[in-house]
Amino acid sequence: MIYRNLRFALNSAWQSFWRNLAVSTAAVLSITLILVLAGINLLVGHAFSQVLDGFRAKVSEISVNVADGTPLQSVYDFQQQLAADPRVSNVQFITKDQALAQFKADPNNVVLAQQISGNPLDAKLEVRVAKLDDVAAIDTLARRWSGVDPTDPTNYQGDFVNRMLQLSAWLGIAGVGLLAILVVVSIVIVMNTIRTAVYHRRKEIEVMKLVGATEWFVRGPFVIEGVMTGLIAASFALALLVLAYQPAVERFRADVAFIPLSYDPAFMVSLAQDLLIGGALLGALGSYIGVRRYVRI
Amino acid sequence: MISFQHVFKTYSTGTEALRDVNLVVPEGDFLFLVGPSGAGKSTLVRLLIREEKPSKGKIFVDGVELGRMKRRQLPGYRRKVGLVFQDFKLLPNLTIYENVAFALRVHGEAENMIQSRVAEALDTVGLSGKDNTYPANLSGGEQQRVAIARALVHAPRFIIADEPTGNLDPATAWEIMQLFLRINARGATVVMATHNREIVDLLRRRVIAIDAGQIARDDRSGRYHDDLSKPQIRAQ
Repeated sequence: MIYRNLRFALNSAWQSFWRNLAVSTAAVLSITLILVLAGINLLVGHAFSQVLDGFRAKVSEISVNVADGTPLQSVYDFQQQLAADPRVSNVQFITKDQALAQFKADPNNVVLAQQISGNPLDAKLEVRVAKLDDVAAIDTLARRWSGVDPTDPTNYQGDFVNRMLQLSAWLGIAGVGLLAILVVVSIVIVMNTIRTAVYHRRKEIEVMKLVGATEWFVRGPFVIEGVMTGLIAASFALALLVLAYQPAVERFRADVAFIPLSYDPAFMVSLAQDLLIGGALLGALGSYIGVRRYVRI
Repeated sequence: MISFQHVFKTYSTGTEALRDVNLVVPEGDFLFLVGPSGAGKSTLVRLLIREEKPSKGKIFVDGVELGRMKRRQLPGYRRKVGLVFQDFKLLPNLTIYENVAFALRVHGEAENMIQSRVAEALDTVGLSGKDNTYPANLSGGEQQRVAIARALVHAPRFIIADEPTGNLDPATAWEIMQLFLRINARGATVVMATHNREIVDLLRRRVIAIDAGQIARDDRSGRYHDDLSKPQIRAQ
């Protein structure tokens, strides 16, 4: 019996979708547009989080400059103290010679390197901090150490890190806000589409109720129609995003070279899942709300 | 058995549609509800199919009180009842066969069972062979036959008809009445609201006259208008 009811609901939904083709098409296109916007939102969010991750990795590493003449034992002690700190994930000691070698190896410093005599660079401890939030505390700890170079203790830029943290928080909130608006708009669109379909079929619904159909029997086809609308729209949106993603990233890189946006095809798989599941759920929810008032027995 | 016990119905607009209606319809009865338009006949029918709930009083069908019935129990109740309306309520985009089968499809019946039951119902109403015709290609009388076939197909114990001959010419109306009589003879209880004076007077079945929301008359073998020469059974 469940199988027969399901077959009836599927047939009915399919027929209704095609019978009201103009309304169905309008709904599919509107939801496609919304899902494309949602998809762009997710893609941009993902790209920024990748960029932010890159920045985070850089700023979560600070260099503690060691004053010339600091006893090696004191450096090793401090290195061990840092290594034992749970907030620190890695500490590396770079001697003055290594620092100079690194400096000279950087192609950007070729001209400058030819002009230096001796070794003006400090030895340093490169400290990688596990969480961005703890960098400030480790910086304070390092500045209190007796062996630190008092003229240039660390390369920590607290202001920049705080701004980064704020920016990423704001971006997250804006993304969620935008998604919420898109979700509400698409539910309203599906709701109205299904109401039109219900209006076209009000006589059939009346007869169904009078001959003893259950509420779910009446509602089922409309919910399935909503899911169908959502899935078709999600497929269109996905196709558009797949086609546009790589060219858009390349264009962006060409125009705004200083933001290292990257193309991440693997993310498309999770985006496809999100859009299809999202489309189906939006369709189901919109039609459930749209039809609820009309199918009350 | 159907019973109304001190039933009142007042709509939210303040209209008092029924006032203190008491009525017992035994199993297998054939009952005409007569009265002027707006007297309360349709309200009584709507209460009987639980499209409306009484404002006061109780309605029992087979011992179950309709007012206390939960929404999820309604489909089950409506499957015990066959409904026929003045405007037929056929679905224009479905064939005759599909229209009748629809009443069984919504119950999730098996296809081979549907086939045999629909064929039997169409045969009863004299429409065998017109399975693939659409309602628009049928006369009013034929459309009402389809509606009756749909009301019959799940073998209901009660047939409730609201002005079933209202849109039909006298000869066709009479044919339709013959069908209802046959259905009643098979044991189904028939409750029919009608304005058709000739039919009521000719058949001399139980007649309940409703006027201004109250039962004005309950005659065991009645006429459309009050007939003082006949003994009357007054409303309880």
